Amino acid sequence: MSSIDRHPSGMSLPPAASAAETAHSGASRLPLTLAIVAALIALAWFVSLRQSALFLVGVGMGGILAGARFGFTTGWRRLIEQRDASGVIAQLGLLAVAAAISMPLLAAFPNDLMAALGPPSISLLVGAFVFGAAMQIADGCGSGTLYKAGMGIPLNMAILPMFVLGSFLGSAHLDRWLSLGATAPVGLVNEAGPLGAFGITLLGLVIVGGLALAWARRGGAQTPSCVDRRLLVAGAGLALLAALNLVLAGQPWGVVYGFGLWGAKIATAAGAFDPTTNAFWSQPGNFNALSQTVFLDVTTITNLGILAGALWISARKAPSATRLTGRQWLIGLLAGFLLGYSSRLAFGCNVGAMVSGISTGSLHGWIWVALAFCGSLIGVRLRRRYGF
Amino acid sequence: MRVRNLTLLVFWLGLALFFSWDWLHSKPVNHRLEPPLFAAGSGQAPTGGHCSAF
Repeated sequence: MSSIDRHPSGMSLPPAASAAETAHSGASRLPLTLAIVAALIALAWFVSLRQSALFLVGVGMGGILAGARFGFTTGWRRLIEQRDASGVIAQLGLLAVAAAISMPLLAAFPNDLMAALGPPSISLLVGAFVFGAAMQIADGCGSGTLYKAGMGIPLNMAILPMFVLGSFLGSAHLDRWLSLGATAPVGLVNEAGPLGAFGITLLGLVIVGGLALAWARRGGAQTPSCVDRRLLVAGAGLALLAALNLVLAGQPWGVVYGFGLWGAKIATAAGAFDPTTNAFWSQPGNFNALSQTVFLDVTTITNLGILAGALWISARKAPSATRLTGRQWLIGLLAGFLLGYSSRLAFGCNVGAMVSGISTGSLHGWIWVALAFCGSLIGVRLRRRYGF
Repeated sequence: MRVRNLTLLVFWLGLALFFSWDWLHSKPVNHRLEPPLFAAGSGQAPTGGHCSAF
């Protein structure tokens, strides 16, 4: 082990802290812990108990993502470049556990819970491909951008406003993209029942896992790395929290809608956007959300929780980011904008489309994975070309 | 480390500014319409926005 543990994400982590350092960092977490508890109480008192509980779920998600450095983007990149399947296998484990819990729940409470059903469409194909490329350049998907921003990685903090702008514009243009061609969403739980849906999903996950392992073996490694206990445990933890999100909120875990809502609220308040003339934002639910506080929005609350959970973790494990050139900053910010825009076109990011889509039986989640992986093949080359 | 702390502070102040503005310029929360803690089993259809919505 070198003195600096270079993590797959590209962040440099400090070596194990000494007892004195740990005691110091433990103390530095106290104000953060108090602030998180204060936010929980404030949300319960001023907004609702459900939003407070969802904030806690988000804190847990952020803590796991940052604590285990569970990166969807990194897992894919390590498979492509280093033929290391461990990250992807952990993601498949996450999907299996989340599907095993979510699908029976959706069948048991068809009126109370909803699946993440997006329409197979040209918009989905283009959006997922672009998202897959952009997430490699920006070194973060939806959840990755959130937790790395929470940890204080400068590029990811700067990307967040660009993500917001892109998500807003993507949602505002969504009807035009859908007019290029779309079919009705396909929900496996409705089509095949919970057991059938889970069986089909599990079969799909096994096939993808087999392909990932075959790719890893083709690299010549005698014993391809496929199991990382830390990532597997983190994936299982995220799956449990994603299922809890579904039980509490009635909808699966999502990231991008909240960003679009923030952008739409700012643009509307600035007089730059008229939601009444827009196909997406004039829909009753979305239009109503524009007049309400964002604290009532489910995805906003879990996003905030992820940021807070990652910040709490970084108090002990502060990452040091690589210094970027002006050109790298420009490309990174552009990638951040594309992340936001394309994730709306694709009906979600790695979380909303992949995790929530697949675990709740949506066909669009599988299409998303295929196209986003193709995009990532381009993205890792662009990443290398620009020296990230 | 000081630069990181400073950028983190600016980032969180920016977020706090946005959320404060949002709270002050949005309709007050109607606690009579507070949803049940658990959506599952509540008998109420979910109304929140999601990334897969179109």
